[in-house]
Order: sequence, then structure tokens, then C-alpha cells
Amino acid sequence: MTEPEGAGRAPAARPADADPLFELPPELAIDTRVARRIMVEFIRGQLRQAGFERAVLGLSGGIDSAVVAYLVGEAIGPERLLCVLMPYRTSSPESLADAREVVDRLGCGSRTVDITGMVDGYFGRMDGERFEPAALGTEGRDASGLRRGNLMARMRMAVLYDQSAEWHGLVVGTGNKTEVLIGYSTHFGDDACAFDPVGDLYKSQLRQVAVDLGVPERIIAKPPSADLWPGQTDEAEVGFSYPELDRLLYWMVDRRRSPEELAERGFDPRFVDHVGRMVARSEFKRQVPPIAKLGPRTSGVDYLYPRRRPAPTS
Amino acid sequence: MQRRRIALAQLAPRLGRLDENLETHRRVLVEARSAGADLVVFPELGLTGYQLQDLSGEVAMRLDDERLLSLARETQACSAVVSFVEEAPDHRLFIAAALLEDGEVRHVHRKVYLPTYGLFDERRFFGAGEVVRATSSRLGVPLGLAVCEDFWHLPVPILLALDGAQVLVNVSSSPGRDVAAVNEVGLGTATSWRALMKTYAMLTTSFVVFCNRVGVDESVTFWGGSEVIGPDGETRFRAPLHDEGVFTVEIDLADVRRERIVLPVLRDERPEMVRRQLERVLRERAGGGRG
Repeated sequence: MTEPEGAGRAPAARPADADPLFELPPELAIDTRVARRIMVEFIRGQLRQAGFERAVLGLSGGIDSAVVAYLVGEAIGPERLLCVLMPYRTSSPESLADAREVVDRLGCGSRTVDITGMVDGYFGRMDGERFEPAALGTEGRDASGLRRGNLMARMRMAVLYDQSAEWHGLVVGTGNKTEVLIGYSTHFGDDACAFDPVGDLYKSQLRQVAVDLGVPERIIAKPPSADLWPGQTDEAEVGFSYPELDRLLYWMVDRRRSPEELAERGFDPRFVDHVGRMVARSEFKRQVPPIAKLGPRTSGVDYLYPRRRPAPTS
Repeated sequence: MQRRRIALAQLAPRLGRLDENLETHRRVLVEARSAGADLVVFPELGLTGYQLQDLSGEVAMRLDDERLLSLARETQACSAVVSFVEEAPDHRLFIAAALLEDGEVRHVHRKVYLPTYGLFDERRFFGAGEVVRATSSRLGVPLGLAVCEDFWHLPVPILLALDGAQVLVNVSSSPGRDVAAVNEVGLGTATSWRALMKTYAMLTTSFVVFCNRVGVDESVTFWGGSEVIGPDGETRFRAPLHDEGVFTVEIDLADVRRERIVLPVLRDERPEMVRRQLERVLRERAGGGRG
């Protein structure tokens, strides 16, 4: 893997001949300095337009939320950022330790809210060999990993929005472009936010920004995971590596190449087909739910205003 | 020596807050004027913000609007280019750039090319201007006003130059995009704009003055990078990307004369031939067949 000159600069502490922390497809190399400036301006602009001075986000210990925490810290100062750590009883202790390291390095506010009681209070839990039912009754025993994972994501969303009211800050999203495009998120869970500064950066590009920001190397290098169950990794669950997925999405979405053109470029047609379906099937997650048109003027159809606008003056 | 001082107001307008933006314009104008600026240039829709959507009609001003006239009154012994939503007497809305001089609204250019593709949706909310015309000014030479996308169409700079403009002023709200590492300055938009403006300066042997806003509306971040290019195509000044600020540049209008005598491409332009060929092309495109 080679990195074009002028692409994402490595921090000074890291020798130039060191093994790269991650694989970067050359066409995804970005000018991290400019990207960082735009995202920082975006964060400031969004808060200013909404009349807020503070922000809150869920810090998982992974790279996405770490990058957003650094960016928010740069935009408004770490003292105006509250990071909420929300482990579940099966969450990996390393995730929590990595999140704590980000908080320590940034010097931002932080708060830990264990969501175990909230999740188990719905599904119930095993006490040794015996199942202790909760809100869902005995059905909770057989709930799938998907249902559990989704509920965890939505409980975290509920906690974040509650904390946002207390902290008087907007919830900053942490979803990257790769997961936004393939729909690898829980709708109204981890995708819920007031605005998302990194949603137009592929995972590979976000990694470049992470290096530039000085995010701890262990966070950059470890396999990405939703950490919804022990040993889970994104790449095992989705079935592709991020560099190959990012490359395909870049050519498919950003460069508008047809399946035939993608095949000529060397992408396996089955891979193209599979990812194409994931993107198409998750279109609804990227849009505001439609409202049935009945009246003369309908939100999102022919009532179109900026998200934040000044009140009319009389 | 015919030196003129141009102040580029690379501002971040507040979306939909006309009164606040008017106040900012007034303050910057007064400061620049007392610092000796001959011309103060503000960005496209600097008085209203860009992503207005249904706010467009709510922030629109008629040309006799007292708020616009009172801003014009601040231009005693200087010139300013300001931009806003203009409401015509028949209630069409336009993206307008006005030349304010010696206390009056001297000239208004209505944006003629409205991008309605990709991230743009201007035609939905605005009417397109029909006139491209140079205007005399107290700078001593005619000016040509254009708004953002007007400069993505070759006819605009050439028409303005043929009509006598020696300084082409483009006011913009250009959203920055494409951060691929291969771009010259790390921003595809800036790379494209610089290529266009340098080309126009050379082909029209005119000064090109570009004032682009900064700040954020909704998803997009405007990249600034306001610029002044000489009639030889050389960049005389380049403002930083994304930083808000007022930047003063001194130009020498004698450079236009020098360049136009050395390189008389504008003299050699052939508008009648262009008109004949355009008429033929239009006839054929309308199904008139080849003559």
C-alpha cells in the first residue's frame, strides 16, 4: 500500500518508515488539513445557527466517536463537550478503557451511564441457569442478537438526549459515510443526532483524519466493532474489509460507475451486487419519514425552511 | 499610476437574519471607507445568507427599500457591491448584486445563471436575470458585475468586457467540496475556480475581483479564498480559505491599458461574427436545418 504525497500527514512522533496503522486505497486519500477545517467550521456553524454553545456525544472507545470528540474539542473547546460512556454488562473492558483515554487526553467532561439495567429491564436476564423475565416476559429469553443490539443502541440514544437536555448541548452524530451508505446502524439509535460532522467520510478517510488529530494509535489500529456482543467485529459481520468496501462505494456512489464499469475496474460482480443491495435497502434510513400530503403546505414537501431559522419579526 | 484600493469583505452572513447582516455590512463599509477603500465588495447574498429556501420571499427587498437605501447612504465618496434577494415590482425574486455609489443604488445585476443541479436548487426559488451589462463607476473605469454561477458560463465575462468593463467583479457563495488529496489546495472547488478566474482575466485582459463568503449554512461550508487577479492573469492577492476577514488590495488600473496594448485580444474579438454564428446555431438547434 502506498500513500500519495501530501496525503494525511502522520504525526511527528511516528517514524516515516513505520508500518502504516491501516490500509488506505489511494483514491480515498484526502487533504486532512482542509477536511478538518471544514468539519470544525461545520460544528461551530451548526451550534451557532441553533444557538447552542455546548455539545454531547456517546463515546464508545472506537475510532468514529473518538474523532468526533477531538473535532468538537477543537471547534468549541473540550470544556464545552460532554462525552457519555454507556457500557452494557457484556461490553469489552478495553472499549471503556480506550474511551477513558480519549477523555483524559482531551480534558473534556465525561459521565458513565451503565445501560445494563435499562436493557435487561426489557429483555430480562439469566441468573445462573434461571431466566428472570422483565418487561417483555418470557419472550425476552429468546430475543435475537439483532433485537438486543438495536435496543442497546436506542437506550444509548435515550440517555444521550436526556444528558443533552441537562448539559444544554446538542447531540453530535458519529456515523461515518461507509456505515451511512450500507445502513450499518440502528435507525433512531446510533444514527440519532442534531448533526453529523463525519457522515461524508469513509472509514478509510476517517482513519486519516484520526492520525492527523493524534487519536491514540491503539484506537486507530484496532478492528472496528459495534461491541454489541463479545468478539463482534464490523468486518466479520458485514463480510468485507473496510478498504475494499470503501473503494467500491467510492466508485459506485461518488464516481457514479455502473455495475459493468465496476466489473471492468476489477470488482467482483457478486460483491458489487451485494453492496448495491445493501445501499438500496437502507435508503429509508438516510431520509426523513414521509408525511402524507393532505393540506396546502406540507413539511418536507412544499414547506421548506432551513433547519434553524430566525423567528419572523412583526 | 491609477491606484485603487479594493476591500474584500469575506464574511460569514447569518442565515435569514437580514437586520444583523445589514448591521455587519454597515460597520465593515464604514471601517473600510475610513481606511481609504475605493470599492468594498461583499459576497453573494451577504445580506441574507444563502440556503434560504422558503425564507427567500421573507428577506426580499425592493430596490426602494429603506434598509437598502440607508446602506447606500454610507457610500459617500466610495463604492460598494452588496448582494441580497431583490423583489421586482411584479414580485419576481432575483439574486441581485448592486453597485452602491455616492449614496445611491447605481446599478443592479440580477444573477443570470441559476444552478439547479447537485447541491443547488436556485431555480426553484428565484427568477433568472436577463441582462449582462457593464456599468460606469466612480473608480474611473466601467465595472462588470456577476454572481457566482454566472462565471461558470463563458458569455458573461466576454459580454461584460465587450461592453467596456475593465474590472470584473464576481460575488459568490461557493460551497467547498471534494477534499481529495490530489487537489492543488486540498479543495476541488478552489482549484476549479482559480482556473476559471485566471482564464477570464487573461482572455478579457481585465482585473477579476472575486469575493466569496465563509461560514456554514446547513450542510455546506463556504470556502472563502477571495481573490484579485491582474489583467495578465497573475494573482495579485489571495485571501485565506475559510477565515472571516476584510482584506484590502491595491490595484493599478494602468495595468489594464498596458496589457490591452501588448495583448490586444479584446480588440480582435469579433462580436458580429459571433452573433452570425450564434444565430445560425440557434436556428439549427431549433430544428431549422443547416442553411
